[in-house]
Formats: sequence, structure tokens, C-alpha cells
Amino acid sequence: MNKLVYLVPLFPLIGFLINGLGRKSLSKSLISIIGCASVLASFVVSVILFFDVKANGATVVDYFNFINLDSLKIAFAFQIDALSSLFLLIITGVGFLIHLYSTAYMHDEEPQHFGRYFAYLNLFIFSMLLLVMGANYVIMFIGWEGVGLCSYLLIGFWFKNDNYNYAAKKAFVMNRIGDLGFLLAVFWLIEKLGTANYADVFAHASSLSSFDVTAITILLFVGAMGKSAQIPLYTWLPDAMAGPTPVSALIHAATMVTAGIYMIARSNVLYSMSEVTMNLVSIIGLATALFAATIALKQNDIKKVLAYSTVSQLGYMFLGLGVGAYTGAVFHVMTHAFFKALLFLGAGSVIQAMHHEQDIRKMGGLKKQLPITHITFLIGCIAISGIPPFSGFFSKDEILAAAFAKNPIYWGLGVAGAAMTAFYMFRLYATTFLGTFRGTEDQQHHLHESPSAMTIPLIVLALLSVIGGFVGVPEILGGHHSLHNFLSSVLTTEVAHESAKNTEYLLMGISVAVAAIAIIFAINKFSKKPELEDATGFGKLLENKWYVDELYDSIIVKPNTAKGKFLKNIFEKNIIDAAVNGVGRMINYSSRQLRLIQSGLVSGYILFMVLAIIVMVLIWVNDGYIYKFFYNLF
Amino acid sequence: MNAIILSALLGVVMMFASVFTENKIAIRNIAIFGLLILLASNLLNIYTPYSFNVDLHNMLRFDSFGLFFNSIAIVSTLLYVILSGSDIVKVGNYPAEYFALIFFVLCGVTILSSYNSLLMLFLGVEIMSIPLYILTGSDKKNLKSNEASLKYFLMGAFSTGIMLMGIALLYGASGNFNLEMIREKTSIAEFGILAPLGLLLIFISLAFKVSAAPFHFWTPDVYDGAPSVFTSFMATIVKTAGFIAFVKLFSLRMADLGPSYAIILPVIIIATLLVGNITAVFQQSVKRMLAYSSIAQAGFMLFALYTSNDLSTEGILLYAAAYSIATIGIFGILIKMKDYTFDGYNGLAKKQPLVAATNTVFLLSLAGIPLTAGFFAKYYMLASALKSNGSALWLVIVAVLFAAVSVYYYFRVIQAMYFKDGDAETTEIDGTFKFVLVVLALLIILIGINPSILLRWYYF
Repeated sequence: MNKLVYLVPLFPLIGFLINGLGRKSLSKSLISIIGCASVLASFVVSVILFFDVKANGATVVDYFNFINLDSLKIAFAFQIDALSSLFLLIITGVGFLIHLYSTAYMHDEEPQHFGRYFAYLNLFIFSMLLLVMGANYVIMFIGWEGVGLCSYLLIGFWFKNDNYNYAAKKAFVMNRIGDLGFLLAVFWLIEKLGTANYADVFAHASSLSSFDVTAITILLFVGAMGKSAQIPLYTWLPDAMAGPTPVSALIHAATMVTAGIYMIARSNVLYSMSEVTMNLVSIIGLATALFAATIALKQNDIKKVLAYSTVSQLGYMFLGLGVGAYTGAVFHVMTHAFFKALLFLGAGSVIQAMHHEQDIRKMGGLKKQLPITHITFLIGCIAISGIPPFSGFFSKDEILAAAFAKNPIYWGLGVAGAAMTAFYMFRLYATTFLGTFRGTEDQQHHLHESPSAMTIPLIVLALLSVIGGFVGVPEILGGHHSLHNFLSSVLTTEVAHESAKNTEYLLMGISVAVAAIAIIFAINKFSKKPELEDATGFGKLLENKWYVDELYDSIIVKPNTAKGKFLKNIFEKNIIDAAVNGVGRMINYSSRQLRLIQSGLVSGYILFMVLAIIVMVLIWVNDGYIYKFFYNLF
Repeated sequence: MNAIILSALLGVVMMFASVFTENKIAIRNIAIFGLLILLASNLLNIYTPYSFNVDLHNMLRFDSFGLFFNSIAIVSTLLYVILSGSDIVKVGNYPAEYFALIFFVLCGVTILSSYNSLLMLFLGVEIMSIPLYILTGSDKKNLKSNEASLKYFLMGAFSTGIMLMGIALLYGASGNFNLEMIREKTSIAEFGILAPLGLLLIFISLAFKVSAAPFHFWTPDVYDGAPSVFTSFMATIVKTAGFIAFVKLFSLRMADLGPSYAIILPVIIIATLLVGNITAVFQQSVKRMLAYSSIAQAGFMLFALYTSNDLSTEGILLYAAAYSIATIGIFGILIKMKDYTFDGYNGLAKKQPLVAATNTVFLLSLAGIPLTAGFFAKYYMLASALKSNGSALWLVIVAVLFAAVSVYYYFRVIQAMYFKDGDAETTEIDGTFKFVLVVLALLIILIGINPSILLRWYYF
């Protein structure tokens, strides 16, 4: 099976090259076929690898020495184990569905932009695969940067719109801040352990001092904050919705933003060694989950709601990681990939039906015209709200149960967040699909269900959202939690559930009941009488996202711009330019003077030479006298 | 041995060729054919050392260093003749004689690469120099050419005198001309100042040949006055041969002969870099700029004398090849230009895109930009200095700063070709010329990516 491993990233890379180079000459249908087939081929290989790992365990495939310095050797190697093979399935599987969906969604683009889109998308899949397959932090970092680049390119895909470019830049810069943390952590690891290989790092982790472990894990977490949109680096993700909707589904919901969770789960050995970092991770995660949920309550853009909901769900995953429920976090990554991709794709279907209208206040009553979208979207909403037996329930429950074991307050706040989640999701659902249509006549006239290339992915993802949770049914509900067993080889055993069975039933009951009440309340409130006017008071604060963007703008962006202006106008002009030009003028001047020695008269030349010979002979004969003189002088 | 004898014979053959044919193209082709034979015989020499059974009395010694340099020199000459052959025959009425003189120069070059005795050093230098005086003045009706020839001869005679004096002193100190014997027998304690002084004088005369400051004064005037085709030959094959002779002489380890050496050589290196680079900045004529640039490049090659380790030996060979190839190309293009000033190059990229592109590669190589051969050449030089001696750091820093200055005048040509509007006039440019330019540019890039392609021949 080892022979197959390199094929997984190779297919999308080939797809990227063909579509990227041939974007001007290939037809749209050919581009679609190449784009989808390359990811499908990767998916097939991933399935084979997955079952191989299940049967035979993990493998590391070493290709060549990527970096070869005196004592530091970094191999270009892939590690296929339980964790990476699971991620491979999610990336290529969901990725394929989204590629398929894109063929219809992006169909109105000009051929060369269509080709560019699929080239970027394939490049993204390639980078994401490198990220999860790498057997050391350096290969992971290559993928990490690659996905960041693709994210940037795809957010700014419609580059004629300056706001989109601004959003792309914002995403890139925020991610760079995180990347710096990641890089420092990797350097730190290499400095202390002399290796970046997972296997070696984890084997020798115990030789690190507790300060080192804490610093490394916090720096890695800074990287995760950027990539996975956690406080304080989350503001780029809602803006990233400027990209095409399938991109939001693939990159900004299902895969790339979960890279941070993957990285921490991968480094669980290190994290488990530092209590400080674990607490930090759980607090940041929980704070993000709640904070983003409050913002989502008042958003009116269909994609913005989903974006904040993604930030909030990522927060839950970090909470899971922080309380040691690594499996729970990975489980939630998986179910979240299903239902969030579903919700985004559903939103895309709605947006297309509405002629690129994204404001839910102008929708309503779409239930009849978009039956498939409606049903699948509803399934997605139920799944994310945590209603059993849909997938979201099991994964969220596992995180909350672990949070309770760690600290009941975490649990309480988590449930509050879950209630908000249920509320805003059904506010979104009810405003969009229930009630009466509030758009223009023209829009109403053209309302139609999307083509099958878009509905098939919706149906498949809806199915997965329903049954995806059964791989992780906890034991008290009569399951075996096969996911846990599968991942146990990679992830350290988490905090044991010490709470009694009854307590657990009670916890589950409470969270389900709270979610159900929130759902009913939301449907009642918004199906008849949606919020059409702008919010006031506290609602306005939420609608404007707590003014965090404005805050960052005034405390970080503006002072830096001012500094930049100062350096550009004063420092550069008067000091750097003056120095550079001064050197140039000096050389020019000396050139003019030196030129004069070249008089053209042989007698002059010979005079110079004789003088030089005399001086040299004197130096030589004195046996270093002058040399010693200068030597003593300095 | 093969190359020495054959190059002399081929020179005679070329002289007789003019008796049998007046056809200039045919003469050029005979020269190319002769160079191919010379190359083959030199390569043969690597495997069968005794093609000519002559008792050399240990005056010449053929090692891989010398033979490899011969190959570089012959290949460079070959490329030079193919590229600029049609311009050589245009200089005057006696094309066959020019080629004959080139072969005699090569004879001197091959002696310089294998001398083991000071007598042979002297012979080599003279055999190499005298034909050059004639070539410099070959444009007989041009006053500048005549002036340059006379200047070159006067100053060359001066340096010859100094070299003879040096050889005499060394002989006086050791009673021997043989390099190894001299090394064995001389030391400061025994011979006082005789041996070091003799060595110093030889050093000075060789410094003159490679145009190291302050013995460089002839270079700009001679290079500028000589017909451009022969300037090209002088600036490349002849100059690098001078360095090879220099490096061989330094197997005597001048450093052992007194601490003053540690101050004289760095001063010469810096003076050469300074004069070459700084004066080149203000030149208006590309030809004169190239003359100064050749002084500047000599400053870098002098690093090979500063240290003698494996890196510097490899480095000087690499430098010889990289510098010769690029300079031959640049001069080849220069000869085709009607106006030798920088402004004459304005807009060349639009009229002759291929020529401009290859010229850019050559200029980048001379400036030492990575991915060209010139980068590795400079790198080897500086690395060898650093490797041998930690205190050379400041010297290396100075050299790098001067390399930065050199970018200014090399890029002026690129700027003129690409970014200035103008009507660069050239004489007719044929397909062969372009083809050879591309070959030269590819060689530079190839060596620039992987210098071991070239250097592994050294260790065949």
C-alpha cells in the first residue's frame, strides 16, 4: 500500500497543472472533468489507504531528504495513520462533492476564469493533503502556507471587486500572524530536539523542560488561532465569505479552518504535557464559541450567519481539545465538515436561485420552489443544533461531556452556546424558507431548484449529516464508539469520564432540551414575523459584530499605517534615500577623479609603476615593518 | 606537450595557408579545423603523456591543472574564432597572419600552464606577449591602434626587464631555475633578501600581465586602441593564462617568505578592485568600460593567490572559464555594434531580441548574479579566502561591496538595451553568430546551475 501514498496528492497537483496551464484553451466541460476526476481519484486512493490503516496500522513513507544541513535532516515523508487517513477521507470526499457542485455553480464564469477557479481548487486540495500527510512539522508547514495562499487566491477570486481583494488581504495578513507563531514553534522544536519529525518529537518530548513545552504549544496554538479563526484572529473568516460559495464551504468551513484542530490533535502528546496551554486553549475556544454565537444572532447575510457559526463551532472543537477530548474534537471536525459544507452549499443554491441576493430579509417562503435545498438545509440545521440522532449531537455531546468532567462551568457555557446555535440557525432557516416571499417580482419569477450537479452533493452531504454520527455513539447509549478505538493509536487517552451514568443522561437531556426549546422559539418567532428593520440597542452592537473590526482598525491598523507613512515620507526620503544616493554620488565623483590618473602618457604610467615597485620593495625588505606598524596601531 | 608543439606548428601552417588561398572564409575554416586538432591533441595528452618523446629536463610538467586549463583556453579560442572569425578577417589584409599569431599566443599560453622552470616561465610570457604587440597594431592605418601597440610594447618591455631581474635574483639565491629546487633551497634565513626580492619582482611583472593595480595603466589604453576582436582575445584567454602562471608560481608559497606578503597582496587586491570598478562607473564607451571591468575581474581572480587550497585552484579554473565565455560573448556583440558608447546600445532589445537576451546573460554573469557561471566563480574565490583565513573576512566584505558597484555599470548596458528608446545599429548578424551566442549563454547558465559539470573534468 505504501506505493500508493504519493498518488493522493499527485492527482490534484496534476489537475492543478493541467487546468492552470490550459485554462485558456480547454473547454469548460473538460476542465470540470479534470478538476473533479483528480479529486475523485485521490478519494479512491484515500479509501484504500484508510482500510489499509485500519487493518495494518500506520506507515511512514520516506521519499527524499528535503533539507539536509549538518545535523538537521528533514525528510520529505508522508505519515499515514489513523488521524491523517481520516482527514484524507474528509478532504477528498467532501472536496470531491464540492468540486462537483462547483461545476454547476461557477458555470457562468468565462472559460479562462473557470479554469483558474478549478486550478486553485485543485491546488488547495493538494496543499491540504500535504498538510495532513506530512510526517514532520516542516511538510505540514508547506501545506499550511499552501492552503493559506489558495484561500487568499480564492477569496479574491473576483478580483475586480476591491472589497473582495481587501478581504483576501485581510485573511492573508491575519494568517501570517498565526504562521509566525507556527514557525517559531517549529524552530524552537528543532533547536531543542534537533528534529521536526512527529515520531521523534513525541518520543523525546519528555526531555523538554516544562517552559519549553508551554512556549512551543502556545506558539503552535497561535498558528491555530490564525488558521482556525479563534479570538483574537477570527475576523478574517467572516470577510472571507467574499469568495465563491463553494469555496466558503470547502476552505472556510469543512477543511482548511480545521487545520488548526488537526495540528493540535497531531501534537496532543505535547499539549497533554502542559496544563497551562490546555487551559488557555479551552478558554479561548469557549470564548470564541460564545462570542461568535452572539454575533451570529443578529446577522442578516446568509453566508455571514454561517461564517460566524463556523467560528463558533471551531471554538467548540478547541474547547474539546483543551479539555483533553481529542477524539471528540476530531469527531466534531468530521461531522461539522458534513453539515457545514451542506449548509454552505444549500446557501449557495439559495443565493443562485435568488440571483446573488444574500440578505435573508429579502427571502422567505423558499420552501416550495426549492424543495431539495429546503429539506437538506433543514437537516443541516438540525444536525448543527445537536438534536439526536443527527450527527452533530454525538460529537457535540462528547465535547460537552468532557468539558463537564473538567469543569462544570465550561459545560454550562457550552450549553448556552449550543442554545444560541440552535436559535440563530433556525432564525436563518425560518426567515429563508418559511413565511412569505419578500424579494422582487423578477426574482420570484426566476426562482427554481438548482441543477442535479448541485443537488446531488446536497443529498449526499445531508445523508452523511444524518448518519455520520453513528461512528461515535457513546457507550452509555449502547454504541461502541468505533471512531475512538480507531484513533486511539494516535491520540492519547483522554480524561476518563468519571461522572455517573445518570449524570450523563441528565447532561444530554438538558442540552437537547435547551436546543429544542431554542428551535421552537426561533421558528415561532421568525416564520411569521421576521426581523426586517435594523436592530437597535444591544442588537445593534451584535449586528455590528461588537465593533471588533473597528477596534482592530483603530488600535492596530491605523497606528501602523501612520508609522508607515512616517517612515515612508520622512525616514526613507531623508535618511535612506540620502544615504543611498550619497553613496552613488560619492562613487560617481571618485570615478571622475580616478579617471584622470589615466593620462595616456606612458612616461607617467611608468613613473607610477616605479614608485609602486619602490614602495613594495621597501615594505618587503623591511620584513613586515610597516605591517607590524599598522598591526600595532589598530 | 602535444599542445605546445602543435600550436607552434599550426601557426606555421596558417602562415603558409595565405600562400595557397586568398579566400578569407577558407582561412578562417582552416583555423577552426586547426583548433579542433589542437583540442583533440590536448585531450589525448591527458591519457597518453608521451606523444612526443622529448627529454624535458624537468623544465615542463604536465599535470591535470595545466592540461585542463589548456582545454579551457583552446575551447574559448575555438568559440571566439567561430563567433568573431568573420570580424578577424576584416581587420586588415592579412587574415592568415592574424590566425598564425593567435596560434603562437596559444603556444605561449600552453607553456605558461605547464612551466616548471623560471626559464620556461620567461619564454612562455614572451611567446605569448610578442604576437600580442603585433595584433594590437594590426589595424595599421589606424593611429590609435598604432599608439596602443607602441605603448603596450614599451611597457611590456619594462615588465620583461623586471621579470628577468627577478629570475636572476632567484637564480643567484638558489643556483637553480627549477621551481621545486628553488622551493627547497630558499629560505629567508639563508639568503637574506635575495630570494624574496626576486620573487617580488616576478610577482610585479606578472601583476603587470594580469593588469593588477598599480600596474594596470596599459590596460585601458591598449584594450581601447586595439581592434576590438583582438581586445576580446587579450581580455580573455591571455589574461586568464597570466593568472594560471601566477597560481603556478604561488606554489612557491610566497607567504613563507615574509609577513609583508600579508599586507602587499590585500592592498593590491583592493587597489585593483577599486581602480577597476570605480573608474568603470564613469566611462561612456562600452569598450573602455569593459577594459576597466577586466581589471575589476582581475581583482577577484587575485583571490586565488591569496590562498592556495583546493577551492582556490578549482575556483581559478572556474573563473577562467566563466569570465572568458562571458567576455567573448560581450565583445562578440560589441564588435557588431556601430556605436561603442552606451547610447549605441539603446533599443537593441527591440531590434535584436536574441542578441540582447544573450548579452544580458553575459553581463549578469560578469556581475556575479546567481544562476550564472560568474556567481560560482566569485563564490569559489571568496569562499576559498574565508576557508583558509578567518581574518580575510574584511577583504571579502570589501570585494562584495565592489561587486555591488560593478552591477551599476554592467546594468547600464542592460538598461540601454531594454529600457531606452533608440535605434541601435549593428552590422549584419548571421545565424551562426546567434547560434554561438546561444551556446555561450547556455554554457554560462549550465555552469551557473551546476559548476561541477565543468569541474569534474579537472578530476577526470
